[in-house]
Amino acid sequence: MKKLSHLKRMVLSALVIAALVYLYSVSYRVTNMDFVRLVKDAYKAREFVSAFLHPDLFTRDTETVTITTTFPIPCDSAPISEPVESGPRLVTSVPCAGEKERFILEGFDMAPSTEIAVRWHFPDGRVFTILRTTTDADGHFSAEVEARAIAASAGGVASAIEVDTYIPISGLKPSQAMKDVTREIFVTIFMALFSTTIATIIAAPLSFLAASNITKRGPLGTSVYYITRSFFNIMRSYDPLVMATVFAFWLGYGPFAGTMALTVVTVASLGKLFSEAVESIDPGPIEALQASGANRMQVVRFAVIPQIVPDFVSFIVYHWDINVRISTIIGFVGGGGIGYYLSEKINSMVGYNQAATAIWAIVIVVWVLDFLSAEVRKKLT
Amino acid sequence: MLRIQNLTKVYPNGTQALKDVSFEVKDGEFLVVIGLSGSGKSTLLRCINRLIDPTEGKITWDDIDITAAPPAELRRIRRQIGMVFQQFNLVKRSSVMTNVMNGRLGYANPWLSLLGIWPPTDKQRAVKALERVGIADKASSRADALSGGQQQRVGIARALMQEPRLVLADEPVASLDPVLSHSILHYLEQLNKEGMTVICSLHFLDLVHRYATRVIALKDGIKVFEGLPAEIDRAKFKEIYGEEAQEVRATTVEASA
Repeated sequence: MKKLSHLKRMVLSALVIAALVYLYSVSYRVTNMDFVRLVKDAYKAREFVSAFLHPDLFTRDTETVTITTTFPIPCDSAPISEPVESGPRLVTSVPCAGEKERFILEGFDMAPSTEIAVRWHFPDGRVFTILRTTTDADGHFSAEVEARAIAASAGGVASAIEVDTYIPISGLKPSQAMKDVTREIFVTIFMALFSTTIATIIAAPLSFLAASNITKRGPLGTSVYYITRSFFNIMRSYDPLVMATVFAFWLGYGPFAGTMALTVVTVASLGKLFSEAVESIDPGPIEALQASGANRMQVVRFAVIPQIVPDFVSFIVYHWDINVRISTIIGFVGGGGIGYYLSEKINSMVGYNQAATAIWAIVIVVWVLDFLSAEVRKKLT
Repeated sequence: MLRIQNLTKVYPNGTQALKDVSFEVKDGEFLVVIGLSGSGKSTLLRCINRLIDPTEGKITWDDIDITAAPPAELRRIRRQIGMVFQQFNLVKRSSVMTNVMNGRLGYANPWLSLLGIWPPTDKQRAVKALERVGIADKASSRADALSGGQQQRVGIARALMQEPRLVLADEPVASLDPVLSHSILHYLEQLNKEGMTVICSLHFLDLVHRYATRVIALKDGIKVFEGLPAEIDRAKFKEIYGEEAQEVRATTVEASA
């Protein structure tokens, strides 16, 4: 008898293990796990990571100085340029070249440590950017350039190589991205503040109805209790992203939709937290005030509220903090604020440095709010 | 005169806390209720002001049927019955003053009281109540900043605000050390001498002998004794508290002496 149950247990655990192995193998397949690729393709993230390390924060007003030299392709198609001996000048390793040949382009006596853009200026007037780089401390740069077929001379006129030097003429000042991000991060903070405030106004009274120790008395009270509680639970089952999508359809993209979505989600969440705070209060003072002949409202005002205010304030501050975080996410689906800015910059493929500015701003604001809300909550307990 | 007739309480979970308890309390008595923990003392006291609704039985107070009172009348009855609790039941985060004023809620204008607006006479009354229990200087302290004995004195001051004719004290000194026990019971004794009826549950035999004018004892929800404190001798005590409680009794009596 005992042996049989032992055998049974072994079979049972074998079955459980087999089921787990099956579940994990299925999940491994459906999630397309490929750890080799995780390492191998790491270079693809380089562009974004480097952008992340170089957020677009400051800019300078610049004056563009252009120097130029003509470069016939192939040789004899046009006269070569006269060599310049002094001042900012471009020097090529060969005066002319055949198609697809490579040569070295150097610049001398240019502005030191300055951003430059090197480009072809074709005979027909079109331009083609070759590269962007920075001059060294001596105002020198060098680059290898290919004599492309597209840059061939036409009608006896050679293409020119032009170098724009962006010489700063002002001090550092916030870049456009920095200004936009600052504005949008404040939009986000205010979205979170406003939604948390509205949600508090709605959730605070409702939470009393969903607290068993206050409401669950008699058939009417009990049904009110269950209705409010179910309302909170149903609301809570909707993710903020889903809510934001719904409101973005309803109200159009922007902070209004985002704020409404956050409000709905926060009402449910705060309602639940508040009602639990109300349920966990010391019943002693309630009993004492009832015994002294106080009515229901007076009991709530003098025995319940003094006990819950610290918890409520702590939950409100915490939710503001959470809502700043959520609102960056729901911005991606049309909720406005910094999230929307971030999604725009990421999707545009050229705004990675601006996206980085936004990400840094989010990181800093979330960190600061996290710290502040922790401090406030510490003070209250 | 408070008359308790055939009082029975069965909790929803089936626990029978009181079985057919009847007794009378004349005005001006200091009635002490004794019995083991769980013998029904707290339930009995709470049935009198209907913090707990009795299952059966009737409680009348000067021809008012407390058990049949509708909510509004019940509040008018309750405000004449002060209550003091073992755990003091103060709002810990509120000031001592606010806690004392809470005792006046049953008399206050419901709407003005919600806004925290009190008649000046009530404020004076609160100061007097605090002076009476000797902690007027603590009025603005937070209730939980006070010691246990001080908190219970706030509890008594709160009950005084009701100008009660009857005080229910549910093990008022069980959370306090013996020296404080006497000081707290001394306040109740003074009130009793001024004409307030006191019904008080107690654990320690020497306190019973010292303060009670009459005693009833409960065991498993049944009244097993009613009489004068002097009538409770060793044998009676053994009967009330059971054989195994002998040791406990000896130590508690020593500890509180």
